[in-house]
Amino acid sequence: MPRLSWCSRACALALLFICLPYSSALAHCFVGARFFPATLAIDDPCVADELSLPTVSWSKTGDVPPAAEWDISAELSKRITDDLGISIGDTWTQISPPGGPKMAGFADLETTLQYQLLKNDDHELAMLLGLIFDWGGTGASNSGIGTPYSQITPTFYFGKGFGDLPDDAGALRAFAVTGQVGYMFPTTSYNVALNTYNAQALVYGGSIQYSMPYLKSEIRDYQLPDFINHLIPLVEAQLTTPTANNFGNSPVTTGTVNPGVIYVSTYYQVGLEAQIPVNRASGTGVGFLGQLHLYLDDMFPHTIGQPLLGGSGAAPRQPSF
Amino acid sequence: MRLRIATASALFLGLATTAAGAHAFLDHANPLVGSTVSAAPHEVSLSFTQNLEPSFSTVEVTGPTGARVDAGKSQISGNTMRVGLKPAGPGTYHVHWHALSVDTHTTQGSFTFQVGQ
Repeated sequence: MPRLSWCSRACALALLFICLPYSSALAHCFVGARFFPATLAIDDPCVADELSLPTVSWSKTGDVPPAAEWDISAELSKRITDDLGISIGDTWTQISPPGGPKMAGFADLETTLQYQLLKNDDHELAMLLGLIFDWGGTGASNSGIGTPYSQITPTFYFGKGFGDLPDDAGALRAFAVTGQVGYMFPTTSYNVALNTYNAQALVYGGSIQYSMPYLKSEIRDYQLPDFINHLIPLVEAQLTTPTANNFGNSPVTTGTVNPGVIYVSTYYQVGLEAQIPVNRASGTGVGFLGQLHLYLDDMFPHTIGQPLLGGSGAAPRQPSF
Repeated sequence: MRLRIATASALFLGLATTAAGAHAFLDHANPLVGSTVSAAPHEVSLSFTQNLEPSFSTVEVTGPTGARVDAGKSQISGNTMRVGLKPAGPGTYHVHWHALSVDTHTTQGSFTFQVGQ
């Protein structure tokens, strides 16, 4: 498959915008009174109309000596129906080995089809199924940033808020967890050019988060400064463990643990996290990860922010208590 | 590169042909969320971050016995929703609200406050 130009990538991203819908819209990741923000390292458990632009990370690789790596990525998520969504994203990477030539280019284009399995308002529980497809040959495979083969990762996502704990739990009810677990397998088992096996792997991660907006509106309003009331401190982890067809490669689990904070505003959120490698193979020293994330359903509620198909054009249902 | 970014930005903004709206978050309440007040209030008022659609936004209040103590239909003006309360004495009051912002985004929530304890 030929590499895609920047223009082609931009057109692919814009294509989803062009198909404007004419139906009513509801929300990004609201489940009852709980709002799950878009986490930076893993995905949140909802289909949504959102745009992450940009996500920027800097880290040092686990090579000896380590190379500095910059990643700049964008991802657009779009609902097709209320429960079915698709996302498309790509990453530009620059790797600078000490004393060596820089390598730079796009990673493989990544698309994800997602289906909302469950949203339980009372228990603040969300479940989502996803099929991640990395399109081999669309990135800079010559420099090792992309791959000549595709990778498919069926993934299960979940989110659970603890607002359904008894009132006696007090401020603990503002906690929530999210997670995802997927199994990645390449479309070819052997890379002839590099004479290596393409491993299958378990790809998983999670987050624990504390919602100050939830504390203020559901548990107790301490009349803290407005800025504080918009924060969601969290710790994320993302890990990959080779599981099969890994002959000659390192069997070590790699990943990072990311403490950070997300500032949630009306139309956007800003997240900043440290990236701490879980071992030497995962990186060298502490990196960082930052993201600007736009809520398209709030910014453009009558156009881009609506599902492409099947939204209810009728008036919302009258709530009954 | 700059031209491409500008073109993509223009395309994005060009498609945004309607005014923005958003989810209505509870900004503050009176009595305050989780607070203790010395005497039972005559009403509960909720202020949101967005204007509300009156026909589809409601609030219910239950008193210490679990019975409803909200008196009549909630009154909605702009981003504020309020409802009168029947006398119900000291104890824990539960407030449940459901809001529809004017651009059709729905939100919901609940909280408690204490009277005389």
